[in-house]
Amino acid sequence: MNTDINLLLRTDEEALRRQKRTKTLNLIAIIFLSGVAATSLFIFLLIQIINPSSIKKEQNDVIEKISQFQNKQAKLFILNNRIDNIEKILQNRRDLAKVTSFLLAKIPGRLFIEDLEVDDKTVVITAYSTSLSAIGELINNLTETVRKKEIISSLTLSTLVFDEGKNSYQVSLKAQF
Amino acid sequence: MNEKINEDLKSLKFIFERNKSYILPSIIIVVCIILFLQFVIPQFRVLFAAQEEARLASLKLQILKENLNVLANTDERTLDSRLKILNLALPLNKDFSAILNSIYYAAQKTGVNLGNFSFQIGDLADIKKNDGFPSISLAIPINANAVGVNSFVQTMSKTVPISEVTVIKIKNIASSIKISFYYKSLGPSDYKKDLRINPISQKGLGIINKLSEFGNVSGFGQIPISTSSSKQSESSF
Repeated sequence: MNTDINLLLRTDEEALRRQKRTKTLNLIAIIFLSGVAATSLFIFLLIQIINPSSIKKEQNDVIEKISQFQNKQAKLFILNNRIDNIEKILQNRRDLAKVTSFLLAKIPGRLFIEDLEVDDKTVVITAYSTSLSAIGELINNLTETVRKKEIISSLTLSTLVFDEGKNSYQVSLKAQF
Repeated sequence: MNEKINEDLKSLKFIFERNKSYILPSIIIVVCIILFLQFVIPQFRVLFAAQEEARLASLKLQILKENLNVLANTDERTLDSRLKILNLALPLNKDFSAILNSIYYAAQKTGVNLGNFSFQIGDLADIKKNDGFPSISLAIPINANAVGVNSFVQTMSKTVPISEVTVIKIKNIASSIKISFYYKSLGPSDYKKDLRINPISQKGLGIINKLSEFGNVSGFGQIPISTSSSKQSESSF
């Protein structure tokens, strides 16, 4: 018979191992329980601290004070609104007087304007003169303007005719901005 | 048969007896996991939502405090005079008397003779130009040469209400221009109580100063709509 077989000892070892396992499991359960409780309590306290009701109360106080200046508030709002809109209009509106002044300055003295039409896209000039050189000077002046990209970007000679009745040359030019 | 059942019960009892110390901690662990998933995680969401709400509330409070500060430091009389200039420049609605005033002011100042003109209120009032600004357009015949017309247009560009000349037609003496007078009403959704109120910017003050130098701002309302001028213009056509 083998004397190494000790059933009693083996039982004790197993009981010890089970006891140890139970202790570990109990410890994990306690850690879990306290962890959940602590986290929950911590979050609850944080929510209570963050609670914006005090801020809202302060907001209401300020709103009440602002309501005393309601007229001023509305006026200031309209004022800023007007400024924004006026700024947009002033930025975008085309100054046709400037265009006309510029073009009139380019017209030689011997040339007479019969018709000058300016809109937001085109300029149509109809002029007459007894001298072809005055017409040539006008075309040169305007061509130079196109070349320098000053105000107008293209120029078309629409008509150039001799009017026997008036004994003068009539020119019609079309320019685009 | 009964003996076998008894044996099974005995073995179950034995297993229970052997593992009963594990049962309670295991249940606690499972319950804790369920509690964490069902309550703690949603609590985190509530916490983040509360944080966001608090952040927005403090932001709003800050805006309100700044608004209060701006309002308390604004002089109402200065505000009124500035608002008057701006409303003359860009009326809230169709201001026909202001339009007539500005046209006759420019005519008187430049010495040009105006022809008959009429407001085309119906369809033209709805035309939206220049970034969606509503405007009233009218064609004005002018009995003047190119220099006179140009001078009139220049004066109109520095007269309130703000206008834009869109067409200039110059003939020997009978010229005409097409002009649009802008106005802009306040949208119903534009005004909000908790919106930031900005004090007048330097750019805004610059615009007000520029407008205050415009033709008929200071004497607005004092310039009578000259009946002689209109009679003159009527007789000239």
